[in-house]
Amino acid sequence: MKKAIHYINQFFAGIGGEEKADYKPEIREGLVGPAIALNSILEAEVTHTIICGDNFMGSNTDEAVNTILGFLEDKEFDIFVAGPAFQAGRYGVACGTICKAVKERFNVPAITSMNVENPGVEMFKKGIYIFEGGKSAAKMREDVKTMANFANKILKGEKTGPADEEGFFPRGIRAEMWLKSGKTAAERGVEMLVKKLNDQPFETELPIPKQDRVPIAPPIKDLSKANIAMVTTGGIVPVDNPDRIQSASATRWGRYDISKIDRLESGVYKTIHAGFDPAAADADPNIIMPIDAMKAYLKEGKIGKLHDYFYSTVGTGTTQAEAARMGKEMVGKLREDNVDGVIMTST
Amino acid sequence: MKLEIGNFQVKDVVFGDKTMFKNGILTINKEEAMDFIKEDEHIIDLDIVIAKPGENIRIVPVKEAVEPRIRPDERSVFPGITGDVEATGSGRVHALKGCSVLGVGMHYGSFGDGLIDMGGDGAKYTLFSELINICIVAHTDEEFERFEQQKKNRAIRWATHRFAEYLGNTVKSLEPEEIETFELDPITKRTEEINKFPSVVLVMQPQSQMEELGYNDLVYGWDMNKYVPSFMHPNEVLDGALISGSFMPASSKWSTYDFQNFPTIRELYEEHGKSINFLGVIMSNLNVSLEQKRRSAIFVAQMAKSLGADGAIVTEEGYGNPDADYILCIAALEEAGVKTVGISNECTGRDGASQPLVTLDEKANALVSTGNVSQLIELPPAEKVIGELQALARDGLSGGWAYDEILGPSVREDGSIIMENNAMFCGDRIAGWSTKTMKEF
Repeated sequence: MKKAIHYINQFFAGIGGEEKADYKPEIREGLVGPAIALNSILEAEVTHTIICGDNFMGSNTDEAVNTILGFLEDKEFDIFVAGPAFQAGRYGVACGTICKAVKERFNVPAITSMNVENPGVEMFKKGIYIFEGGKSAAKMREDVKTMANFANKILKGEKTGPADEEGFFPRGIRAEMWLKSGKTAAERGVEMLVKKLNDQPFETELPIPKQDRVPIAPPIKDLSKANIAMVTTGGIVPVDNPDRIQSASATRWGRYDISKIDRLESGVYKTIHAGFDPAAADADPNIIMPIDAMKAYLKEGKIGKLHDYFYSTVGTGTTQAEAARMGKEMVGKLREDNVDGVIMTST
Repeated sequence: MKLEIGNFQVKDVVFGDKTMFKNGILTINKEEAMDFIKEDEHIIDLDIVIAKPGENIRIVPVKEAVEPRIRPDERSVFPGITGDVEATGSGRVHALKGCSVLGVGMHYGSFGDGLIDMGGDGAKYTLFSELINICIVAHTDEEFERFEQQKKNRAIRWATHRFAEYLGNTVKSLEPEEIETFELDPITKRTEEINKFPSVVLVMQPQSQMEELGYNDLVYGWDMNKYVPSFMHPNEVLDGALISGSFMPASSKWSTYDFQNFPTIRELYEEHGKSINFLGVIMSNLNVSLEQKRRSAIFVAQMAKSLGADGAIVTEEGYGNPDADYILCIAALEEAGVKTVGISNECTGRDGASQPLVTLDEKANALVSTGNVSQLIELPPAEKVIGELQALARDGLSGGWAYDEILGPSVREDGSIIMENNAMFCGDRIAGWSTKTMKEF
């Protein structure tokens, strides 16, 4: 029989609520809490339940993840299930974090469930199967069942359907499929047009994501008095990457003091961006983050001031939501120093 | 304008003593047919091979597909190509249904060429596996492009049009089994009953992006790179005014067969007088520079507006760069108050994670998707190959490759293949045949 391992938080393990949210990761043989329901429907044996406090996962993420990956190192399992997390934000993020880590390390399918309002959906839907769940534990049975049914398809090697049929949040993967209806593109197109003309509801086959456009700022009147900051998504960091910014799908950013240097030296700075050949940027980091040119402009008096730090993260695979969050955080720091303008370098 | 297409259902195609059509059997005197095709001295080696649905046959590199037709009144089937420039779209044309003439390279392929599997799993990708294909397998003296990735393939393409007309001759004076009538009254002379329905135009964007002439789709024999959008009658499209070019990756291509049978036009005719008032076709183009793209979108939106269109369907022969023309045109129509639907394929990459169209606009809120050009397809060896299998890997077909460190070459020693849908001949059936769609996974 195939094997599964289930991740739940301290609350659903019956350990305690908020006061026990710092509970360190633990692995128990057998079934705890929601694992019982999962085991009853899953066509696999749930051999272990992993329990971790939501705050512990949130505040000591690396330690929590590494401990749990360590638990799993010698275990055999075909599928990993977490939650359901409903609308519980920290629990949702924890389920997403651990599912992503387990999938990446052990290459097994990882499945979780949360409510659409849970911030974990936006953060993790790209990498893992997150099923749309209820708002509260009242939906426990249904949500567990949805996950289990899908898990059973995977376990049996059956072909799984598209997101809207199966009930998971779209992972940003679009693939072709033949329509069971056999309806041709011509028929679908004309039918869609007739509905649109008659103001009837219709469904596009390619939803265009809402674009969150930012208006272009008014020009800086006198550059020679302006305080300019440098920001990049090109992944330029000190060689030891002190903020541990990820090489793809970044959720972290850093800022690095350039007040006392004239350029970014190779060997002192490098790129950690995984989306392009790093050779040229490693040989001369200024080609992505042109501190050398900006310092020269500063000396010439072309700009009034160069902000003491440059800011860096990685753009490849990074979600719009994460990028927006990081951008807002950076803006807070830039405002503190009265920065007038930003040069954003990309790759 | 009234067009009658007289249909003759072809149940089988065989070689025999006399080229003729009788009791559903199209018989071809191969020697005479070869002589006819070889009248073009640029064809230096030639064979004619018949491939039927279900046979374990792989055809590659396919350059063009044409439905055999003839006009009883002597006008050429493809004006400007097989004869003088004359108006199409009215009168009578006879068609041999259920079959097509394919132009196939005996050795060499090019970027826009495709592959057809007549049987097995590969057959589901292309409409042409459902037809009896009369394959012109030819080698030409076009030395200037022998080893070029982009080829005009002029000799082979012209051979398919000429030969399609040649075969059409067999039914020139026969009485069709069925006559389909395509007729629209002039726009200002329509009945109240028709005028009460919302008015609709079809905007077609045929491939015309090669600045050097000879690769693009042709309208009445005219290279569409040197063309601005015009109003056309749908019958002209169905009746040989346009022929396909030799540039667009095969799965996004409209072959001449597609133009002759354009399903989206047929569907609009079907709904004419039932739910819409089909005004006609704004024949646009696809362009290189942004300025050109904008100019065409302006032309299209203005014409649609002036014609009083309430709705439009926009469809592009292509993907990638042409998506910019496609989306600009849809947005321009929406801005002009014309409710618009788009029909095209997507390019989401082999992992499905890439942005589906090169440009996006929220105004394009009603799109039909016909497939993913970069879908990987792996197929077992076929018993027989028409053409040359190596062309898929060697000659730069858009969906084939000679080397890949992970996937290996497109063509393996045992004859099995791995390719992108890109090289499936008319694989995304953008003309409207496609029963594929794209879904989020």
